[in-house]
Amino acid sequence: GLGWRLRVWLPRIMPVRWSRYNPSYLEPEVKKESYQKPLEALTEEEREQKELKAVRPIKAAPPTLSSSVFSDPMISKFTNMMMKSGNKVLARSLMSQTLEAIKRKQLEKYHKAPENEKETIECNPYIIFHQALKNCQPIIGLSNITKGGKTYQVPVPLTDNRKRFLAMKWMITECRENKHRRTMMPEKLSQELLLAFNNEGPVIKKKHVLHKMAEANRAYAHFRWW
Amino acid sequence: TLRLICTSTAVQRKNVGASGPEKYTETFIKKQIEEFNLGKRHLANMMGEDPETFTQEDIDRAIAYLFPSGLFDKQARPMMKHPTEVFPEQRKIQWGEDGRPFHFLFYTGKQSYYSLMHETYEKLLNVQKHQDQLVAQDLPLQKEKRNLAGSRWLTKIELEEMLLEKVSDDDYSRFIQLLQKLVALPCADIEEKYIQKFSKEVPMQLQKVVIEPLQYDERGVAFSTGEGQRKTARATAVVYDNGTGKITVNGIDILHYFPVLQDREQLLFPFQFLGRIGKHDMVCTVSGGGRSAQAGAIRLASAKALRSFVTEKEVEFMRQAGLLTVDPRVKERKKPGQEGPRRKFTWKKR
Repeated sequence: GLGWRLRVWLPRIMPVRWSRYNPSYLEPEVKKESYQKPLEALTEEEREQKELKAVRPIKAAPPTLSSSVFSDPMISKFTNMMMKSGNKVLARSLMSQTLEAIKRKQLEKYHKAPENEKETIECNPYIIFHQALKNCQPIIGLSNITKGGKTYQVPVPLTDNRKRFLAMKWMITECRENKHRRTMMPEKLSQELLLAFNNEGPVIKKKHVLHKMAEANRAYAHFRWW
Repeated sequence: TLRLICTSTAVQRKNVGASGPEKYTETFIKKQIEEFNLGKRHLANMMGEDPETFTQEDIDRAIAYLFPSGLFDKQARPMMKHPTEVFPEQRKIQWGEDGRPFHFLFYTGKQSYYSLMHETYEKLLNVQKHQDQLVAQDLPLQKEKRNLAGSRWLTKIELEEMLLEKVSDDDYSRFIQLLQKLVALPCADIEEKYIQKFSKEVPMQLQKVVIEPLQYDERGVAFSTGEGQRKTARATAVVYDNGTGKITVNGIDILHYFPVLQDREQLLFPFQFLGRIGKHDMVCTVSGGGRSAQAGAIRLASAKALRSFVTEKEVEFMRQAGLLTVDPRVKERKKPGQEGPRRKFTWKKR
């Protein structure tokens, strides 16, 4: 064995993706509001979950998660994906500069716009970020299935996690590759996010191309067996 | 030299295969128990204690004193335990003198497991029959839901001990599924006694931890201490009441010690969660680890210290938010034949 210090929980067959926690540990719930809800407001499932949480041990909250209003799981995920070689400080500063740039651009637009249009302009960078990524999420994906020696691109439904991941990945690759050498990342990212918020831009185009490919390969949809 | 001539093949066979685990006879076990009791009395006399009230803990302490061992593995050190704990429980011979087995399911190979499954299914059918009777008489079905959160099913090892034979993973999961199906029926209260044989109580997590009371220093201000660790960092925090929200780490203000926003967020996390940001003062000492590990260690220490200031319900909320658990994640070791913990060497074709 690996010694008593590391023997927190080791299964008999070693899977590749294992965690230091025993599988009976549950995920922590950080938001303050969920603890202030009265008992009647919860549904049956939530009540069961609550009872289960009282008995089972809970994992420690990771350092990126916090109960403050400024921590957003989606933003943390995006920052982690932008990070290179573990430089979280740089990634986080780029993210905050992006949000600042979005806010500045929107405020400029807001002050220049006539009175009747002022209400339609969205200034909150978090809302713009969430909406832009939501607009970039594909509904259906393609997967390679080999049948009879030939590999076909088969349309396949995607899970929520996969959709979010693809949207973020496309956004980051787009900003890293298709920009002039001298433009900074926050500037380019804020530009792309604003375009995606209005359903324009290269990322949305990529999503539409994928949808069209899936529509074209509709005939092979029955190859999927899951 | 003499050579055996008129022998049977059984005697001539030299390489006999292993015949399973050693079987202990009843007389052997009885003798072992007698020897153990005698030995216990001798040990008590040696240690100068009363032979009548010599418990197992006293035996362990005496053996550790008389035979000190530097071995790391606790199982390898000398121990003196009751023979029923040392020799595993074994089945008696399952067939009579004529060779005919006693149990009707002997030839399935897993007789106790299958008989258990049959029994449980019989109970299930019983409950369904009772249900049908109630429906036929137009009586209402009892809909009391059993509290599933406070109990757990037997683990596979416990089931193996109960049945005295090996149970595979598949068989175990099938048995648990059958039990869950039985419990899900509305009239399962009839078989409550049978179900209780296979379920164990799980105590509430909160009751395992003791919350220390507040201490008071010379000025009359209440304070409490907490210790925390994360990776290689060790931290101690002293949280004072009636404060202004000042936090000092190793004599330095947090704004200078932790220039990164994320670390400061982590330090303030327990206070923000309880809504007590400007009310407490904190003085911490931390050593070891890196920047993020030190922040995590201080977070755990401050959360533990805050337990004394707060009601039990809020302590439970803190636990469910993951503030009071020690993070077990440490750096994974490098393995031989690989460059790092997971990275393999570059594959070269030739």
